[in-house]
Amino acid sequence: MRDPNFSDRQAMLIIQTALNGLVLGGVYSLAAVGFSLIFGALGIVNLTHGIFVICGAYAAMVLFHVFGIDPFLATVPVAIAFFFIGYAYQRGLIQVAISRASLVASLLVTFGVALIMRNLLQLVFSPDVRTITPSYSFSSLTFGSLRIDIVRLIAVLVSIVFLLLMALVLSKTAFGRRIRATAQQPLAANLSGVNVPHVLGQTFGLGAAFAAASGAVLGIVQPFSPSSEDFWTLNAFIVVVLGGVGSPSGALLGGILLGLISSFTAQFIGPSYTNAVMFLVLVIMLLIRPQGLLGSAFGESR
Amino acid sequence: MDRRSFLKATGSSVVLAPAVFSSQANAQDATIQFAGSVPMTGAASETGLNVKFGYDCAVKFINEKMGGVDIGGKKHRVTLNLFDDASDPARATSLIQKQVDEGVNFFLGSFGSNIVLPTCAITEAAGRIMVQAGGGSDLIFTQGRRRVFGLFPRASRQFASTAAMFKTLNPQPQTVMFIYTNDAFSKVSAEGASKELEAAGYKVLNSIALPAQVSDVTDALGTVRAANPDILVCSTHDATSILIARQMVATNTNVKMLYQTLGPQTAAYVEALGKYANGVVGASYWDENAKYKGSIFGSAKDFAEYYRANFNRPLTYHMASGAGCIVAYVEAMKKVGNVTDRNAIRDALAGLDLETFYGRIKFTSQGDGDPVLLGPMVVQRQKGDLAVVYPTEAATAPTLYPALPWQERT
Repeated sequence: MRDPNFSDRQAMLIIQTALNGLVLGGVYSLAAVGFSLIFGALGIVNLTHGIFVICGAYAAMVLFHVFGIDPFLATVPVAIAFFFIGYAYQRGLIQVAISRASLVASLLVTFGVALIMRNLLQLVFSPDVRTITPSYSFSSLTFGSLRIDIVRLIAVLVSIVFLLLMALVLSKTAFGRRIRATAQQPLAANLSGVNVPHVLGQTFGLGAAFAAASGAVLGIVQPFSPSSEDFWTLNAFIVVVLGGVGSPSGALLGGILLGLISSFTAQFIGPSYTNAVMFLVLVIMLLIRPQGLLGSAFGESR
Repeated sequence: MDRRSFLKATGSSVVLAPAVFSSQANAQDATIQFAGSVPMTGAASETGLNVKFGYDCAVKFINEKMGGVDIGGKKHRVTLNLFDDASDPARATSLIQKQVDEGVNFFLGSFGSNIVLPTCAITEAAGRIMVQAGGGSDLIFTQGRRRVFGLFPRASRQFASTAAMFKTLNPQPQTVMFIYTNDAFSKVSAEGASKELEAAGYKVLNSIALPAQVSDVTDALGTVRAANPDILVCSTHDATSILIARQMVATNTNVKMLYQTLGPQTAAYVEALGKYANGVVGASYWDENAKYKGSIFGSAKDFAEYYRANFNRPLTYHMASGAGCIVAYVEAMKKVGNVTDRNAIRDALAGLDLETFYGRIKFTSQGDGDPVLLGPMVVQRQKGDLAVVYPTEAATAPTLYPALPWQERT
């Protein structure tokens, strides 16, 4: 005899899975938007991206243990610190490598720095897996039979705030206009009086800042260690392919899609298959629409 | 002189010098070299470092406290030649192959069946011996190898004591659900455990398989909440166990007993979960209060005291099992009377039946630990400490069942 509550339970399971996917996706979006901006505006595939995320997580952990600052609040000082670090990195190392060789040199440099930083982090913090555990990290909200943990809910809200912030900066401020101009047509921007190398450095700094901020958020949501960095670089790649390059809305769309695919696969096919399905979707996307759903935000610039 | 002849002279002296110095060293001090790799970084580093500290402890005790071990009338010191395999089987296999090519005879195992399995295949093919306390997958022992010895019984036999413990619970649990990592050890362990439990009359619900690298189990826990088992068994390694427990607390997923094969025993687990770790059950292959003793180290308590006096890392059973590997080797070599006859040492290991600080070390004919003598005890976190709850002869506290819901734990 068919269980009368079965279809109710199935419906609830689908809604719960969608909820999990949206929440996960929101966090994935924030973790990828920095990479997306750098790739779109500078054409650099920043393989150090995962390291920025993990460094953000470690920085938030240190601030939490030493000063008791809540990681969600720590996103601000961490982002500011990494803006300057990213700027110095781009102008001091990456730009120098690119001007000597070619744009592809950035791949090697960013990869090399990622390896160095990963081992430095292992030396300083040990390879053990860490978590940041504020007092509310074990609470959850319940709506009927739907559960969502508080930490993830706040993480998604913070992610959306940051994404909105980036969208506003890019579209409404003079700083954002300079970034967009340099991304679309560097020569014309230079002729219009924009200090192109300075703006490129600032763009990279902005990308690094958002990556580090996402790390501070992720530190509470998931356990992390220096070796988690390759996952976040990979995640950023996939989000960019899915959603499109250079815009926060592309990152949001790509991230949410990734979160939903991940969640539904884990629930209805099996958690072992999430990676396989994610990469399958990646391949299909590259075949039918390689520029991503929203395309490149900076037009035909490169 | 010109550049070329200068380089030739310095190059050849650099190459010859170690040969001169090492032959001098050999003449003075007989040494036994144990080689291998352990995961000092990466996903398995928590347990890998535990095992490494166990190896270090045994070497320190033998060299410093005992002044070397007496084999064939001569005192031998013990040295370790360990590499970091970064929890990566590919790196481990190339490192072990390099050590095999260098002529090492005696290997210690890494941690994790996914690394031990390919590396033991290499040492076996080259005719070398491996004694390990890091891999329990049946595949290590059922593929016809004769020179690989493990201190743990094979995965499919590791659950017997836990299944027996379930029988002692009141009220009797009805349903059990498994979450396992889809890898060489955890899957076999879960399958063996399922069979044991079904044979004992429990209803085993559909299992959930997780990938090796997992960062989110919210959906799996949704399935667990829907199925509502009495007991949830996680056949997972410690990093995944911590993740599952944390997300269970965060999503308020309650079960009457949470059993995690690897996890509750480690310091990182308590640090991550705090008071929520109390009530979680796991397996432990050694406890310092156990009534074992042997010629090297003395009793289990003596080992614990020596370890704590010399090393900082919090003591878990992995240190004891790591040290146990070296003790097994050294006792076999003592029986043979030399450190060069690989075949005789291999036969001595196969026939070992010896009481040590770790327990009675005896291997089955296929090389894994005897399931009765070397099988695990069941432990439970209570009030921040690890208490042995089964078997009753070794128990230090009664089993807390059903466990308090997460929000009520103190």
